Amino acid sequence: MRRGVLKFAPLAIGSLVVACMPLLVDDRYLLKVLSFVAINVVIVTGLALLFGYAGQISLGHAAFYGIGAYASGYATTTLGLPWIVGLIAAILLSALGGVLLALPSLRLKGHYLAMATLGFGEIMRIAFVEAQPITGGPDGLGSIPYPSIGSFEMSAPVGTYLLAWGAAGLTLLLATNIVRQRPGRAMRALHGSELGAMACGIDIVGLKVRVFTVSAVLAGVAGSLYAHLVGFVSPSTFSLHFSVILIAMAVLGGSGSLAGPFVATALLTLLPFADAIIPGLSRDALALIQDWEADVYGLIIILVMLFAPGGVAGMLRRRRRGAGVRP
Amino acid sequence: MSERGASLRVKGLESGYGRVNVLRGIDIEVHSGELVTVIGSNGAGKSTLLKTIVGFVTATAGSVSVDDRDLTRTTPERAVGIGVSLVPEGRMLFGPMSVRENLVLGAYSKSGRGEASLAQDLERVYSLFPVLEERAGQSAETLSGGEQQMLAVARALMSKPRVLLLDEPSLGLAPKVIAEIFHTLDALRAEGLSILLVEQDAKLALKHADRGYVMRTGEIVLSGTADDLLADDDVRLIYLGKWHGKDDVR
Repeated sequence: MRRGVLKFAPLAIGSLVVACMPLLVDDRYLLKVLSFVAINVVIVTGLALLFGYAGQISLGHAAFYGIGAYASGYATTTLGLPWIVGLIAAILLSALGGVLLALPSLRLKGHYLAMATLGFGEIMRIAFVEAQPITGGPDGLGSIPYPSIGSFEMSAPVGTYLLAWGAAGLTLLLATNIVRQRPGRAMRALHGSELGAMACGIDIVGLKVRVFTVSAVLAGVAGSLYAHLVGFVSPSTFSLHFSVILIAMAVLGGSGSLAGPFVATALLTLLPFADAIIPGLSRDALALIQDWEADVYGLIIILVMLFAPGGVAGMLRRRRRGAGVRP
Repeated sequence: MSERGASLRVKGLESGYGRVNVLRGIDIEVHSGELVTVIGSNGAGKSTLLKTIVGFVTATAGSVSVDDRDLTRTTPERAVGIGVSLVPEGRMLFGPMSVRENLVLGAYSKSGRGEASLAQDLERVYSLFPVLEERAGQSAETLSGGEQQMLAVARALMSKPRVLLLDEPSLGLAPKVIAEIFHTLDALRAEGLSILLVEQDAKLALKHADRGYVMRTGEIVLSGTADDLLADDDVRLIYLGKWHGKDDVR
């Protein structure tokens, strides 16, 4: 009982701190950066389900993010529909994309699946550039309104901050429920041995389609949040580079975990915005970090693979085991 | 597992990979509570036969039925649901997961039955393979080869099959461990489970089986009771590596 309380204490305190942040700080920039963390948590949690639990790689997740962002942006600006309709459009279209991408995944594995999803990502990136009437082409889509329900507007930074973290919280809750129950077991089995999973009577076709779809929808929701937070979307955001960063977050987080990818996402998202959390950081130091951002990511991945192949999740597990509590 | 074994009937079954036809009209039957073996050399199509029965590989012709329920071109999850469970070649365990988790996944198709039923089934397979209970919390990849094979059989039993299909359970194991596993198969058969066993070790398989089929390049070339096959000259020469009876050859 006491251990149970202790177990939930960090979670409760964390949620409280996140929720009260807008009251504690009056820094627009920091709140915006933290909103990006929340948005990335939504998408990386989806990727953790797909990659970390079910063992299916996707190098095309930036495309779902883009689909969500453009669907939401197009619906609210060009069509002038309410925010909630934009969000629903983002969910539906990214779900459709997820089902489409799941189809090759039924026949492909490992490197081949990586190549297929990479191809999907590139096709979508080019589609975002070429579908000018909808996406605005290379110029992008601007003046996307803040999320609002009726006359209640969630404006930046506080409204969007709370919305993004609300979405992140819901996502983590949903994902925790999935992994703790039957589908979670089936996903880990699929990761372990596809043939073994089939022999156990797991419908791996249905499972793959479902996990791809859930993961794609979460990316789409994140894209929609991003579009309304920033107010502007352009194709360069949804490149392979972003897909790779997302995979990096999932890998650094470690497989078979939600907490690990959460921590990794927060760290890697904050890295290029280090000045928001380290007040005294000089402009030169920040510029240096931003110039070498990709290299720092690469270096971190190499070091983690060499010295802590379990990622953040592996480290957390080891610490817990050290404290005498079985994971 | 006290349920009666079902009978399995395979008629004119054909299947293959891409354009390559591997099975060319297979007829076999396993009656309720029988242990039947299919022997044959490498590449005869034995594994493909099992994979086609459970739907890993799609049949191109012929039929599979269990107790007169058609199972042709089924999906593996439906086959498990009907009560046909395969212990795949190479075991295909979930390495990083614990022994217990592997067993729980074996009962995946029965997840609706609740905790009490699961605990009962676990107890049942632990009594068949006591070593698995000792190792319940250990990850499957840390088990010895023999223990892994026991886990693979136990995992298949967790779905409460009425027909158990085994693909080369003796592969790469020490004689003592093999004896233990086959002893358990004898016990399961005695309880009424129907078993179809694919083996390269013909002598071992025929020693434990009621009946046997000899398979060669995708066809059944010989069948009979295990004793008849053990005594058959061709079988002795080709699959048992012995030559008696015809003295003039040497």
